[in-house]
Amino acid sequence: MGSSDLFVMLLADSRLPVGGFTQSGQLEPAMASGLTSADVPAFCRARLRTVTLVEAATAVVTAAGAAPGAVEAEWAARTPSDAMRATSRTLARGLLRLAVRVWPEAGLPTLLRGVRPDAPPAGQLATSRAVVLGAIAAHVGIDPVRLARLIAYDDVQTVVAAALKLAPLDPADATGWVVELMPDMDELADQVAGLTDPRTMPAPSAPQLELWAQQHALTTRRLFSA
Amino acid sequence: MPDSPARGMRLGICGPVGTGKSSIIATLCRELSGSVDLAVITNDIYTDEDARFLRSAGVLDPDRIVGVQTGACPHTAIRDDITANLLTAEDLDAQFHPELILMESGGDNLTATFSPALVDRQIFVLDVAGGGDVARKGGPGIERADLLVINKTDLAPYVGVDAAQMVDDATTARDGRTVVALSKNDSAAVAELVSWVRHELDHFNTGTLVPVDPGPMAAHAHTARAASVAHAHGEHVHTH
Repeated sequence: MGSSDLFVMLLADSRLPVGGFTQSGQLEPAMASGLTSADVPAFCRARLRTVTLVEAATAVVTAAGAAPGAVEAEWAARTPSDAMRATSRTLARGLLRLAVRVWPEAGLPTLLRGVRPDAPPAGQLATSRAVVLGAIAAHVGIDPVRLARLIAYDDVQTVVAAALKLAPLDPADATGWVVELMPDMDELADQVAGLTDPRTMPAPSAPQLELWAQQHALTTRRLFSA
Repeated sequence: MPDSPARGMRLGICGPVGTGKSSIIATLCRELSGSVDLAVITNDIYTDEDARFLRSAGVLDPDRIVGVQTGACPHTAIRDDITANLLTAEDLDAQFHPELILMESGGDNLTATFSPALVDRQIFVLDVAGGGDVARKGGPGIERADLLVINKTDLAPYVGVDAAQMVDDATTARDGRTVVALSKNDSAAVAELVSWVRHELDHFNTGTLVPVDPGPMAAHAHTARAASVAHAHGEHVHTH
């Protein structure tokens, strides 16, 4: 198996075929309701301190060996928007689909049994993307700090890449924002890297992001799925 | 590719914006829904207009028509990252067990074709109003999709295009692969299209159909093309 750094790069790469290009991290509804491109760095920062922090914590405690079902329940309790939960679980299915092909020896479907996301009947517990990422990280040997950074970085890049589609921007300026936000990514990673107990995951609130996620799920004019 | 051997055949329909992909799907639904259990996936670029158009056409249960958002990357969604479409197809399989899923790509350019990991067969759609020279220009979809439809032939006199010449150009570019000159008002042409779909579906149901990749690259020669097709077959069998 390759070094864990290479696996971080693989998982952070937008070319990974897991449907990431369909996502804007709520930037599309945010801009539709008045945010401008100048607000994008602050928008990313708000995500890093709320929803992305929860995502990273979820992945870290999963990778630390907490029972996926317990982690999933704690994640769901911290993700009150059903649109956000549905999006995460859809992305999780894509990621698990890929992971089962790439790492068949990891036994991910067995590990995630009971919280398995592939086509669960309506109402049945399903797995979030962060839980699947945590399970993959444990298998390929990505340590908690790198795992949290990966999730933070991926989140910022998702939003910034969507911004380039949604607003007139110079891609070099947008990349500058990603670099500018790196201390925030590191801060997030430091905050969650030591977590092992899902009950101790941070529980910040982001009602505006949740509202945008809910609104976007109902609109008929959108580029991005979420 | 199949997660379940019992899944339905997936038929992709791609081609430039406005050539009549949604309309062809509506036609196929109307013609086939009495005898074939169907579902539809649309890849909407910006609105859910295509999905709504098909739902309002009343040819299929609205729950069997699902739109997929492609983040302004319609090409990616059918070729290099097919995840969103695959998951939607799997959902439809699990929910309805359709015999045939019609998958409409977001209108794109001449180089966009479906990955053989996503669809079993694909139709590339041009129309006479897009210009009589387009078929001659070629491209992977025009040259090597399983079927090329030249649509809106009834409009040819009004847009100054010789439809028969366009079909001839296409047939030459396709090295004999099937071309259907279609107008939704031409019942013989519609029957020809429906018959092609039924034939492919019968083939799929025998369990021996192997998806063929039109490929993004132009073939250098007939022999090279044949070799690359054979390679794609081998790869598909090997990896799936």
